[in-house]
Amino acid sequence: MTLAGWIFLSASWLVILGLFTFSLFRTLRSKDQNNSDRR
Amino acid sequence: MAKQRWGSSLGIILAVAGSAIGLGNFLRFPVQAARNGGGAFMIPYFVALFLLGLPLMWIEWTIGRFGGGFGHSTAPGMFHTLWEKNKFIKYFGVIGIFGPLVIFIYYVYVESWLLGYSFFALAGKYNACTTEQTMTAFLQGYQGLVKNEFFNGIGTAYIFFLITFVLNIVIVYMGISKGIEKTCEYALPILFVFAIVLVVRVLTIGAPDASKPDWNVINGLGYLWNPQWSALKDAKVWLAAAGQIFFTLSCGIGVILTYASYLTKQDDVALSGLAAASANEVAEVILGGSIVIPAAFAFFGPIAISQIAAGGAFNLGFVTMPLVLQKMAFGNILGFMWFMLLFLAGITSSISLAQPAVAFLEDEFNLSAKKASITLGAATFILCQPVIFLLGRGVLDEMDFWGGTFCLVVFATIETILFAWVFGMEKAWTEMHVGSDITIPRIYRFIIKFITPVFLLLILGFWFYQQGIPFILLKSAAKENVPFIIATRLMLVGMFILLGVLVWIVWRRRGRSQI
Repeated sequence: MTLAGWIFLSASWLVILGLFTFSLFRTLRSKDQNNSDRR
Repeated sequence: MAKQRWGSSLGIILAVAGSAIGLGNFLRFPVQAARNGGGAFMIPYFVALFLLGLPLMWIEWTIGRFGGGFGHSTAPGMFHTLWEKNKFIKYFGVIGIFGPLVIFIYYVYVESWLLGYSFFALAGKYNACTTEQTMTAFLQGYQGLVKNEFFNGIGTAYIFFLITFVLNIVIVYMGISKGIEKTCEYALPILFVFAIVLVVRVLTIGAPDASKPDWNVINGLGYLWNPQWSALKDAKVWLAAAGQIFFTLSCGIGVILTYASYLTKQDDVALSGLAAASANEVAEVILGGSIVIPAAFAFFGPIAISQIAAGGAFNLGFVTMPLVLQKMAFGNILGFMWFMLLFLAGITSSISLAQPAVAFLEDEFNLSAKKASITLGAATFILCQPVIFLLGRGVLDEMDFWGGTFCLVVFATIETILFAWVFGMEKAWTEMHVGSDITIPRIYRFIIKFITPVFLLLILGFWFYQQGIPFILLKSAAKENVPFIIATRLMLVGMFILLGVLVWIVWRRRGRSQI
């Protein structure tokens, strides 16, 4: 695998994992907030 | 009748992600990337994700929740609420029930092969197939296309079809929260665990043949990721990337509209849409991109991998992967995991495809979820039979073209224009942010209004010119299949007209009751 290949792989994985982590974290946080609001 | 609701916000995210994650994530994406420029393919892929995929996700989630607030769970009613003055727009919404129904009819049969192969892997039934020819013969025997030493008829395939079909209908019968949501809550984590195990196993195989050190998994990743810059100058590559994003996110089918209609007015759609899309991307780019191509490269080498990729996604899943996995230690278990993960990806998609028709019967004809599911089951069971018994006669391809491609692109174009231009971007933007857990960047006002519709119209035009016209004119169809293809087209026209008539009856009845 060439250096350019590694760069494309890592950049793509970073973007996707970043989006996924952000959305999962925010979803779980808003779920916790909703639960505490209900209490 | 009380409207069904999701049990939790995570439940609908898993259900939409389950609908989006399908066979294409693990089979279609790596083939498309390898054929269209390798790493360079990811540039048009991400452009399409941000300009087409995410906007469509937000549009469908918002229209779905908005329509659900008026008691509609399917596109005819939703389109009518978006453009009340237009008497005909509801008939365009019929595509949002027709499309998923057509896909469901053939998809459930393909899905049943995966269940069958999961058992075959565990039982070692295809262990004797050590070459591409014998594995292809095994598949053709199973499908009933030929009688051979492996199968002497379609009986086994039919039994697995019955099991898969009944399973689908039972899940839909149990309703949104207890059926679809519960299934996705269990199926998706299992799918991800199986996929991660396979990725780890593939990435640690190194070079399986010591005499061929270049046939290794790192070079396999290189085959997929090394950029070929010249590909970026080719319009076909950009079209392929846009098509991949479009199909992988399940946009333009109508299922996200239906799923989102079970949200309450104050439920978030912006973050949920992003979460479902990003979960699908993890399954596609990270997991899907790290299994099939690197493994096949390490075992078959650089020359054979080009032929394998050219052979298409289907061959890769049912012929190449079983051959690769049985060469590894615990091959039977790995084979089971491979086919079971695809089966789970399939069933979480097929139940979503069945739901719009069920929801239509529930909302517009006041049937209970149970009665609506049984009605759908009876109708689709009959419609599945030509797909099963006329496989290889062009019936499945015909349904895939109209239901799985044509309707998607047309439907997405209509709903985007309707949302951004008829409903109006001001109202649309406000509606997207009601109860929202995130603020969508303002640039998306411009993207949704101008870029996404233009992008869709370009895809529609190019696709119709390149593939649509030759397919409609039967340019590549075998002569002996033409009568079957014509009969399938008539059946599809009949289905569309029937759905249109049902919509007409519902609105006529509603009009009378208002008088």
